[in-house]
Amino acid sequence: MPKQKLSPLPSAAFQILLALVGEDLHGYGIMRQVAEQTGGRVRLGPGTLYSSIRTLLEEGLIEELDSREDARPGEERRRYYRLTSAGCRLARSEAQRLAEVLRVARAKKILRGRYV
Amino acid sequence: MSEKLYAWLLRLYPAHFREAYGDEALQLFRDRARDEKGFFLRLRLWLDLLFDLTISLPSEYLHVHSPRAVTSGPRRLFGVPVLYVLQDAPPRPGALLSGGVLSAIVLTTCWVSLSYSRTPSRSLFPQTENREGSATSSRMNSDSSESRDTASPNRSAAQDNRIDPSERKRVLNSAIANLKAHYVDHDAAQRIADALSAHEKHGDYSAIADRRAFAAILTQQMWDVTSDRHLSLDYFQDPLPQQPISQTPQALAVYRENMKQQNCTFEKVQLLQRNIGYLKLDSFPDPEVCHVPAMAAMTYVNHADALIFDLRDNRGGEPEMVQFLGAYLFDHPEYWYNPRENTTERSWTRSPVPGSNLADVPVFVLTSRATFSGAEQFCYDLKMLKRATLVGETTGGTSHSGIFRRIDDHFGMGIPEVKAINPYSSSDWAGLGVEPDVKVSAASALDVALKLARTKLPKK
Repeated sequence: MPKQKLSPLPSAAFQILLALVGEDLHGYGIMRQVAEQTGGRVRLGPGTLYSSIRTLLEEGLIEELDSREDARPGEERRRYYRLTSAGCRLARSEAQRLAEVLRVARAKKILRGRYV
Repeated sequence: MSEKLYAWLLRLYPAHFREAYGDEALQLFRDRARDEKGFFLRLRLWLDLLFDLTISLPSEYLHVHSPRAVTSGPRRLFGVPVLYVLQDAPPRPGALLSGGVLSAIVLTTCWVSLSYSRTPSRSLFPQTENREGSATSSRMNSDSSESRDTASPNRSAAQDNRIDPSERKRVLNSAIANLKAHYVDHDAAQRIADALSAHEKHGDYSAIADRRAFAAILTQQMWDVTSDRHLSLDYFQDPLPQQPISQTPQALAVYRENMKQQNCTFEKVQLLQRNIGYLKLDSFPDPEVCHVPAMAAMTYVNHADALIFDLRDNRGGEPEMVQFLGAYLFDHPEYWYNPRENTTERSWTRSPVPGSNLADVPVFVLTSRATFSGAEQFCYDLKMLKRATLVGETTGGTSHSGIFRRIDDHFGMGIPEVKAINPYSSSDWAGLGVEPDVKVSAASALDVALKLARTKLPKK
């Protein structure tokens, strides 16, 4: 039961799910995408990245691709990962939860600045 | 260097993590190291890695028990979170402190081990060769003794290597006596002995104060007389054992266990796109211990349309395994040149191997400067038999075909005692290496071989 095991969803796992939305990526690709979407704040190290990937795989939230048709020569050995529909649903519900938190924070006027 | 260091750090992770993601983690490090150049970026990379290690290492060891608890136990509503590594909250200061101390201890241990010892897998193969009693490594051992020197900064190498006139005289006399007694070509032995004695009379050795230089010069002078590159005088900084260590039952047991742990050094056995078989083999292990994994590997690629042997990290091993694997590539017995042995009926491959479909598929062998010994025999024979295309760099040029004779604690000789028939016009790889058919850097050899293989596949 993914929801129980990953509840609350850890931020590293959430970032990985977000990174995989709409794009299959290998480990380094995920790391770069996460760094990009967090403005360089989060750089996942190999240990954290791959233990998170393993857990997400175990929970069926992402899947490993057999091999990529368009892989360049020499790239065959890289493993690519894809978001599953369960992973997509979990990412969406997490985003909604955060949106709800944000709404409350706004209402309490604890945020400053025009971007939030 | 930095990649090696990170590979060492990866060994700190439990086996289940390394097996599943060790290669990927190393690849990720390579990717980052390639993209993040410059002092500050490199510093950031290492800080990231050390932080990652501190955080993820304890969790990985805890993780071993977690899945079992979850899958075998009843459903836990309020259980301890399984994903320690993914926890949202920052780690507790206590955990950080203990992780930091643990990492510091482990890092120090790593440095000390790196400085004072060699890795078990590396030391294995020269010993293996000793065990066979047919040969010992000449160049490989001298290389490793050099690497030990450089890795021991505290030891005064110059001090240890000094040779005095009486030792020079003793080693020279022993070398000449060994040559005359054991070298297969008696006439050449006499000519070499005369030449060395003449050099001594002229006082050519009086200026040599370094043991290693003395060994190198004597070897060169022997080669000046005969073209036989299997002949050598070798210097070893660490004292040589009275008898090869690897002949003991304990060493055999260790070897067996090591091979089991390393899957007999079959690093990768894969079918790549377009049904190209890829076999990365890092030694040629003893078939008595490893014939089952070897057969399994060859069976796995049996229906490939092309086959790539990756020997770029292969330091050699047993000639029997070299021939065992070579046999799969022919549909009739072929003469398999082995510089260590006289020609007998065993000099022909056991081809065809029942059930093998590999006798007529295109074969590529990837080579590097670090491809040594038995791996070079594989390359040389397949090249001479025009059975494979060699892609990569010229190989190391080590044949280890002389029988090892111990002179004293620090000197030994490799002396060929058999005259193997080499049916090919060009001399073998000893001292020269095997030239590849397609000369490219070792790093790009796989890409090039894949492209070449695709051109040879049937058009779809």
